[in-house]
Amino acid sequence: MTEVFSGLATGFSVALQPFNLMLVLFGCFFGTLIGALPGIGPINGVAILLPIAYSLGFPPESALILLAGIYYGAEYGGRISSILLNVPGDAGAVMTTLDGNPMARNGQAGKALSLSALASFIGGTVAVVLMTAFGPLLAQFGVGFQPSDYVALMIFAFATLASLVGANPIKTLIGAVLGLMLATIGVDSNTGVMRFTFGVPDLLSGIDFLVVVIGLFGMAELFHLVEQQARGAVKSIPVDRTFVSWADILYVRWTLVRASLIGFIVGVLPGTGASVASAVSYGVERRMAAPDDKMFGQGDRRGLAAPEAANNASAGGAMVPMLTLGIPGSGTTAILLGALLMFNITPGPQLFSQHPEIAWGLIASMYIGNVALLVINLPMVGLFARLLTIPQHYLTPLIAILAFIGIYTIVGNPFDLYMIIALGCMGWLLRKLDFSLAPVILGFVLGALFEDNLRRALSISGGDWGILLSTWESYLLYALSMGVVIGPWWRGRPRRRGEGAADKA
Amino acid sequence: MSDRIFAAALGIIVLIYGWIALNTIKAPFQYDPLGPESWPQLLALVMLICLALLLWRPDAAGFDLTQPSALRLLAMLGLLIGYALLFKPLGFILATFAFAALNSRMLGASWRGALAFGFGMGVGGYVISAGLLDLNLPDGPLPGF
Repeated sequence: MTEVFSGLATGFSVALQPFNLMLVLFGCFFGTLIGALPGIGPINGVAILLPIAYSLGFPPESALILLAGIYYGAEYGGRISSILLNVPGDAGAVMTTLDGNPMARNGQAGKALSLSALASFIGGTVAVVLMTAFGPLLAQFGVGFQPSDYVALMIFAFATLASLVGANPIKTLIGAVLGLMLATIGVDSNTGVMRFTFGVPDLLSGIDFLVVVIGLFGMAELFHLVEQQARGAVKSIPVDRTFVSWADILYVRWTLVRASLIGFIVGVLPGTGASVASAVSYGVERRMAAPDDKMFGQGDRRGLAAPEAANNASAGGAMVPMLTLGIPGSGTTAILLGALLMFNITPGPQLFSQHPEIAWGLIASMYIGNVALLVINLPMVGLFARLLTIPQHYLTPLIAILAFIGIYTIVGNPFDLYMIIALGCMGWLLRKLDFSLAPVILGFVLGALFEDNLRRALSISGGDWGILLSTWESYLLYALSMGVVIGPWWRGRPRRRGEGAADKA
Repeated sequence: MSDRIFAAALGIIVLIYGWIALNTIKAPFQYDPLGPESWPQLLALVMLICLALLLWRPDAAGFDLTQPSALRLLAMLGLLIGYALLFKPLGFILATFAFAALNSRMLGASWRGALAFGFGMGVGGYVISAGLLDLNLPDGPLPGF
């Protein structure tokens, strides 16, 4: 426990430096701004701003604090367009529209916004407190990991990914393997052999992580926006003067506790992020509320508070495996992990001991960011809401220009501009075919790590594959992997049989 | 149907990927049991199994793309490629001016709005990025900072 407190002290001494404090506030503000833009979710926001944040030349802890602030802010801002426009910024915000938008239409827009801000604050704070408590423990567990255990951990990550993300597990796996395959392009770091470069010199060092991120999450989003554009103008509901009351808070207090815990746990699971967390907590809340669940979907306060608390808690939870084991808990943390790797910092069990200023600085900045977001959001929500009226025809070119600036400033090579366009087309096509893109980036980020650990494990054993099943940690992880794959399938079976019976009747 | 076409097309790419991994990637000498070719071979195998499963049981979802949407997407693609082509030779200000104005016009802005937006993005973007944030952007024929 003393370790935790001394860590927190280190963290706050980093995060409270005037420069870093400014970056937290700046990141939270811009994150909310980006998140509030209709159709742009946290992952797109972080992706578009990542190269610019990188090229500003900050020390790694400052850059990461800035990015985490943006991520957090974007999770916060996403609710504004969900509530006022009924347009979710990303999959994680879909659940917020279900009850948030009806509340706003019933003349409680101000109340819906302030209640959801409060729910987000509580979710985020619960997550960061749990993270402070359990992060170092998980890191200790990970310190003894052999390369073969890492292989098991990756398998676990991909198993949860396939089982919990997206409707079709096969498509999720295809996405992840596609990411792994993209990561094999370039010179093999162990032997110096060229792989899949086809003699193109620009591909020698592999496809830059930023190029993949911007291509898949910036440019593909752009194509998606252009395609959707014909749907006609959506009308924003004006923010009124209603505000959250103590009675509202007391009414949803247990909802907030449950949703925060669910969000945190789902967030910690590798590969699953805000979308799964908010959907699960909404479902649980609705079932708990029965038979008093008539209002769900028509503006129930619990139905708004649950997904908001859960998705912010999952944002915090997703940081835990990223910082302690080097396995990102969601698509967005995969991007943050890539950002750390760009600074030559490999997150993992040693991060807390080798770079305490980064690990703890980030955690401390999340405490500050949570408070800052609440303070920024309650009075300034009207300003953010005005952003919703930015016409799509200015927003779309703006995204493209930001993406081009970001990519060009990093590498200064026009070849990468074509690469992001090509990857954008690929990402658009994948989305169109109901593939989710988070597994692709997860695969891409983990590719080198996965391969290196597998090769290292087999060199240790001299080529005997039995080493993969040699420690209790690996047994545990394989058992968990089996559990997450078989569990949902097992639970889905009787229900399906029941539905079949109902059809016949 | 669209799933099957996609799976088949990706399958061909993966077969080529796998063929390269089997035949052309070789380390001149190595001590480790797994060389640079093993991992791609493994990936190709897993991918082919997944694709076969997708071919066998595709999702029902169709590929709904209306003609106006498709045309707008093609125009967007063309504009982006043009922007990438001209980014370095014309410099950030001119290329961005042209791209932002044409793109916003294409998506429904008025000519006046589009030109003002293009000007603001080109000059404003340059001043903020290259001037304020000290980022590296191409100057083109115009004098830079």
